[in-house]
Amino acid sequence: MDNDSLEVRGLTRTFGDLTAVDDVSFVAPAGLLTGFVGGNGAGKTTTMRMIMGVLAPTAGEVRFGGDPVTRADRRAFGYMPEERGLYPKQPVLDQLVYLARLRGIAAPRARAEVLDMLDRLGLAGRSKEHVEKLSLGNQQRVQIVAALMGTPRLLVLDEPFSGLDPAAVDGMVDLLAEHTARGVPVLFSSHQLDLVERLCERLVILKSGRVMADGAPADLQSTGALRHRLVAGGDAGWVRGVPGVHAVDVDGPVALLEVADDAALQRLLATGLERGGVRELTPVRPTLAQIYREVTA
Amino acid sequence: MTTNTDPGLDRLDQREGLDRLDQRGGGRDDEGTRGAWLVVMKREIVVRALNKTFLVGLLVSVAIIAALAAFMAWQGSKTDSFTVAVPAGDAAATAAVESAAAIPEEQGGGAELTALEVPDDAAARAALADGDADGWLHPGAGGWVLTGQADPDSALTRLLTAGVAEQTLDANAEAAGTTTAELTAGGTLSTDRVDGDAVDPQTLFFASFALALLFFIGALGSGQMIAGSVVEEKQSRLVEIMATAVPLRHLLAGKILGSSVVALAQNVVFAAVGLAALSFTPTASILPSLSTSLVWFVLFFAVGFLGLAALYAVAGALASRTEDLQHTTTPMTMAIMGVYFLTFSASGTFETVLSYVPVANVVSMPVRVLSGDAAWWEPIVSLLILAAFAVVALLVSERAYRGALLQTGGRIGWRSALRTAG
Repeated sequence: MDNDSLEVRGLTRTFGDLTAVDDVSFVAPAGLLTGFVGGNGAGKTTTMRMIMGVLAPTAGEVRFGGDPVTRADRRAFGYMPEERGLYPKQPVLDQLVYLARLRGIAAPRARAEVLDMLDRLGLAGRSKEHVEKLSLGNQQRVQIVAALMGTPRLLVLDEPFSGLDPAAVDGMVDLLAEHTARGVPVLFSSHQLDLVERLCERLVILKSGRVMADGAPADLQSTGALRHRLVAGGDAGWVRGVPGVHAVDVDGPVALLEVADDAALQRLLATGLERGGVRELTPVRPTLAQIYREVTA
Repeated sequence: MTTNTDPGLDRLDQREGLDRLDQRGGGRDDEGTRGAWLVVMKREIVVRALNKTFLVGLLVSVAIIAALAAFMAWQGSKTDSFTVAVPAGDAAATAAVESAAAIPEEQGGGAELTALEVPDDAAARAALADGDADGWLHPGAGGWVLTGQADPDSALTRLLTAGVAEQTLDANAEAAGTTTAELTAGGTLSTDRVDGDAVDPQTLFFASFALALLFFIGALGSGQMIAGSVVEEKQSRLVEIMATAVPLRHLLAGKILGSSVVALAQNVVFAAVGLAALSFTPTASILPSLSTSLVWFVLFFAVGFLGLAALYAVAGALASRTEDLQHTTTPMTMAIMGVYFLTFSASGTFETVLSYVPVANVVSMPVRVLSGDAAWWEPIVSLLILAAFAVVALLVSERAYRGALLQTGGRIGWRSALRTAG
């Protein structure tokens, strides 16, 4: 086990008769961005709250660096809860420094660090404003600063990108990259699958409290059925007659095909050359959205 | 990486999870979190002290206290003056007015009375109608009559009743060949008490009303503040960030101490303004005994409010959003209103009983101290009872607060909160 990885083992949480999180196990490796994906009510937030010790697990455990996580460990974790909100009537800088001091960071250091991060997130000059005066997107940036200050050893972020404009997303991604470069594991949940696909080195898909898939996006993609896209010289209706080839969809000259093996692929190509030529034949990797739909179906 | 050999986490269950996490952290992590309650306390104080609503409320209250005292001072210092019309040449009527004017202030007198001689009834009525005279004293069937334009002034009536009686007594005594002094010699009764200065019932009532009001404003205002600040953190999930940084009991301790300091400071300001203002009024003579009573009040309030603040913090934790507060704080509000109404109207045995019942004793015992009714040991015993209440409230609240604070979704009951805390 890597020294600073987060490991979740058999984590379970019941509320009365409802099992919100059911025997969830996965690893968020040190220095990697791990995406936590799942629909509403899949158990992402409940799992994150248990990792942070805000909610006691019914069963299972959370380990950090190979040992059961302690309160001292958790003080050094950066956490962004699901619902946004800070003290609405307190200036941005004051409350960030307050939260930093609760985590044991001395006031002058906290101040310098907070000002620097506000600057990088485009909030320089807003530090004396009350949080309620900021737009929702800007309030979210303040919340991000709250999670990232104090050189955390693990980041647990619940929907950190929701509500951010593309520029803010890029700024946020840069910030997170700095932390993964330090060897910090980052676990974040998101509904935006395209974003997760672009960013994550690792992926955990959750459905109804259970882990449906867990691994690197490329590995997950190769587990899906490999498809080919064919563009014929004329109408591609002939593909239906080729043995070993299953036509998923044919639309004029364009066909989406499942090809059984290499021999079938050669047959397809040969037939195509006889029937007016083949302009294009490419393997199609399923997108993350497709994988997600498949594993959670 | 901290080396950790605690095997307990493997067996964590829903009931004991958080509590255990708290304690597990406690030993090893003490150095980092030891001062956390102080950081929380400072924030509570600063945020409250800079709150506009609070400051305006404080200033308005101080202004009201000062204005009340100024009014009392003016009431006390002003001298009533009356002009009384008397029939021209009626020596008895003039003598009655003079003896009414001679009644000393201690016996309810001290007013200026002037006799205005009028030639006839018509002139007397004209003087009343013009406002030149406040009353017309003239002989009637078997005695005297005081006529006013409307009903004569009650103070004037009281003074002249005494004046006429004295004048009549003097006249009758002279006719009998003796003097009033001889007739009434040895017939006076005065009161005395062993335990020093007396506080008259009116002042006592006013003082108990003021103390009950101070308690009401301080406890309710600061109580609502702490409940509001707890639910604000809970609703915004700020508490989830803070719970990972510091043990929840530090958060609670900081909040209770912070709001107690504010509530106490507010009461000290009110009491000081009140005392300073009173020193300009005729009631200044009771200042020493009132000050002693106020010191007890501040002491009682400080101890009692610790318990109340803890209960209010739980009321805040039981709510999930600000709108729930009204419901979860109702029992507290009712109790404080009850104390307010009972204590300033209580008397006799009932008051003695109340002076030992937490938190009514915060008001009732200092009032009994002021009336001189309480033995020296009574406030001490009562304070110990109050301290016991505060300790129990703090212990129970600490548990309920931890149990309720991180539960989301709707209002939470006390029982569920206490059970969850494990």
